[in-house]
Amino acid sequence: MSDYLLEMHDITKDFNGVKAIDGIHLQVRRGECVGLCGENGAGKSTLMKVLSAVYPYGTWSGQILWEGKELKARNIRETEEAGIVIIHQELMMVPHLTVAENIFLGSEPRNMAGFIDYDLMNAQAEKLMARLKMSDINVALPVYNYSGGKQQLVEIAKALNKNAKLLILDEPTSALTTAETKTLLNLIKEFKANGMACVYISHKLEEVAEIADTVTVIRDGTHIGTQPMAELDTNKIITMMVGREMKNLFPRETHAIGDVVFEAKNISCWDVTNRERKVVDNVSFELRKGEILGVAGLVGAGRTELACKLFGCWNGDHEGKIFLEGQEISVRAPRDAVRLGICMVPEDRKRHGIVPLMGVGYNITMSVLKRYTTSGFIQSEAELAEIQNQIIRMKVKTAEPLLPIASLSGGNQQKAVVAKMLLPEPKVLILDEPTRGIDVGAKYEIYKLIFELAKQGVAVLMISSEMPEVLGISDRVLVMGEGKLRGNYVNEGLTQEKVLAAAIGQPTTEVA
Amino acid sequence: MTLTKKDVRKFLSEYKIVALLIVIAIIWAFFGYLTYDSDLGGSQFLTPRNFSNLLRQMAITGMLASAMVFVIVAGEIDLSVGSLLGLLGGIAAVLDVTYSWPLWATIILVIVMGLFFGLMVGWLTAYLGIPSFIVTLGGQLAFRGMVLGLTGGITIAPVSSDLKFIGQGYLPELVGDAGGVLLFLVLVFLALRTRMNRQKHNLSVSTMPAEVGRLLFAGVIILGFVMTLNDYQGVPVPVLVLLIILAVFTIVGNKTTFGRHIYAVGSNMEATRLSGVNVAYVKMMVFALMGLMCAFAGLTTTARLAAGTPSAGFGNELDAIASCFIGGTSMRGGVGSVSGALVGAVIMASLDNGMSMMGIDTFWQQIVKGIILVAAVYMDIVSSGNQRG
Repeated sequence: MSDYLLEMHDITKDFNGVKAIDGIHLQVRRGECVGLCGENGAGKSTLMKVLSAVYPYGTWSGQILWEGKELKARNIRETEEAGIVIIHQELMMVPHLTVAENIFLGSEPRNMAGFIDYDLMNAQAEKLMARLKMSDINVALPVYNYSGGKQQLVEIAKALNKNAKLLILDEPTSALTTAETKTLLNLIKEFKANGMACVYISHKLEEVAEIADTVTVIRDGTHIGTQPMAELDTNKIITMMVGREMKNLFPRETHAIGDVVFEAKNISCWDVTNRERKVVDNVSFELRKGEILGVAGLVGAGRTELACKLFGCWNGDHEGKIFLEGQEISVRAPRDAVRLGICMVPEDRKRHGIVPLMGVGYNITMSVLKRYTTSGFIQSEAELAEIQNQIIRMKVKTAEPLLPIASLSGGNQQKAVVAKMLLPEPKVLILDEPTRGIDVGAKYEIYKLIFELAKQGVAVLMISSEMPEVLGISDRVLVMGEGKLRGNYVNEGLTQEKVLAAAIGQPTTEVA
Repeated sequence: MTLTKKDVRKFLSEYKIVALLIVIAIIWAFFGYLTYDSDLGGSQFLTPRNFSNLLRQMAITGMLASAMVFVIVAGEIDLSVGSLLGLLGGIAAVLDVTYSWPLWATIILVIVMGLFFGLMVGWLTAYLGIPSFIVTLGGQLAFRGMVLGLTGGITIAPVSSDLKFIGQGYLPELVGDAGGVLLFLVLVFLALRTRMNRQKHNLSVSTMPAEVGRLLFAGVIILGFVMTLNDYQGVPVPVLVLLIILAVFTIVGNKTTFGRHIYAVGSNMEATRLSGVNVAYVKMMVFALMGLMCAFAGLTTTARLAAGTPSAGFGNELDAIASCFIGGTSMRGGVGSVSGALVGAVIMASLDNGMSMMGIDTFWQQIVKGIILVAAVYMDIVSSGNQRG
């Protein structure tokens, strides 16, 4: 019998001919914790979806051996029966059901009459919570009474109830406080001692270093290396994660940088649901006319929350002062921001960027529709003429200017959303992941546009999780981690290693 | 060329209104055939008199449906309009009968009250965040209660002849003809202006024969409409009011920032807010328009019955909502047109009218209308390819 619990060999998965992961290996022994590391989009989630049969057997190539035998699972239920349980980054709790009901969702114990046996269920739930040293939780109370950290533990109790032999944790601590994280890590150590295996996916490398026995690094969908943690340290992992050469993907153009136009002072934001948790922690920075300021950081660093606060759309508690051209401004709603000359292209294009049923053109003119009206009536012809100008300027590929925007490709939708936010002629433009999920050609167009805007004197704040993009575009780079500003570097001789180290919380020498 | 399922689907979704007009033609032909009686000299359904009746019957539902479209397009619902109509109609009756106010004063006060209640519902929904289903369900009960309190549960009659004219009057033949000609001239003027403006901005224009053909077609429709109604007693006043509402609301929906924003809010409220639109204000004003239409419908109802009754408008909200859905408005918001909703109202009124004429029991009428509503929405789902599962 093999001494591995799980062996994944040569796993390859492609989407319409584009390889998301290519020939990846992953082995896990009983009682071992494997850290799985890679940048955003490296293919970690795809690999885990293959393992948990979200992509069923046959839709990918390669071999999975589970306890020495080949596993050909067709759905999640089959992998869970085998003992592979995945805990997702976002909590999958039904908030209004009780703790016990959530743990037993889909496997409720029933009595003779066929009704749910609540006594048995609650008793078993209490036993599970005791194993997790969470006896203070009342299993008969709805889950929403508990913080994100406690809910995470309920999620783990659910996994234990399914007799998990292998626990996969995908960024389990991204929504937890420091204390909650510590509890979770201790628990995982205890599970290991009892023979349970786990795969730990996290950007927080110090957590990986603390609990992993072996680390596997993947990058751009390929296997980079697997080494015992004892032979590694966080810096080595970072080098493995980044390790690619920068190609000339960026049409850099020189542009003059002027005076400070925008200033944020002591910005803090709190989570909407978990109101104790700070998601942006006392961040201050300046932005100059014609400057491109990149904001780097890992997922969950608080960058989007910061952008929302500056644009007036953060729904949780917040504080801090914002200055535009030396004047303190009050931005209580996006319309205040747009009026004052601050525009934002949001991260989630589908939810926050496009009005799907409306024409491309009407999406573009939405921010400034008043311009094309006389005495209250839209001058359709004037509007259409402007729409055609914008479509040509932004190279939006659409058969007709008024085709519903939802029928366009992601890149063309994004160009239209950017056009919408340029029409108000902003002094400050915030771009949140402007090139996420769009093809290389459209990316290039957007980079060119950013430089063109900087030349015209627009101050650009660009949030991006793609490190090469941040380094290829920015004049200066802010690095955020766990809500804090962890670095503010002039982009000269700046390396990905240095930025990533700062994001993770191990800043090397300060430059700026 | 063979017609595939996809072609039919594409045709139906692009020319929804054409499909609906075909449905009307089928319904009319059906009732026309069933009510044929050689002793009485032909079909009883397809007469100018019945056409006039049918339009008068649908006018009140049509007024409500015109604004209901915007409410549903904005992603909301209003269940209180039947009761609000009753309340506003009751106020009109009391002012007219008990206090003998002049007509103009009555109309102004009722309109102000309609706007007030509409704004209130809108404010509760848009600014306090109470779901519109709840606010208007509460409104349905509360407004009906107010009607009962106001009228003391009895019918208030008789109203003045001035007020009656709003609901029962007809335009003199000459005025009807003049109105038809005027409407045609306005259409010609608008078409020419659009052409010139498009040319000014270097946009493509359709060929002159196509343009003339379109205008001639519109002219024939207007001519037939006015002549048929004049053949009976003339254009009924409520129908004229409804046509004006149709014109104004279509312009509001297509030609104003407010109208554009209604559709945007209903399709994706967050993206609209992040584009710098004041979405709460848009939603509130949609309910204000709904209140205004309740005032119109309330005045018309009281005038038509020549009395204020405690049960006026009972259940009208459901007819209005059903008209919108039959007319192609999407439950999920963002899609719908005033003209579609009015065609939906014509379909509902035709069913009512035709079945009554054939002496079918009311209970059957309700069953048939219910089935038609569900079937119409299913057709819409099939034609737009939005099936679940």
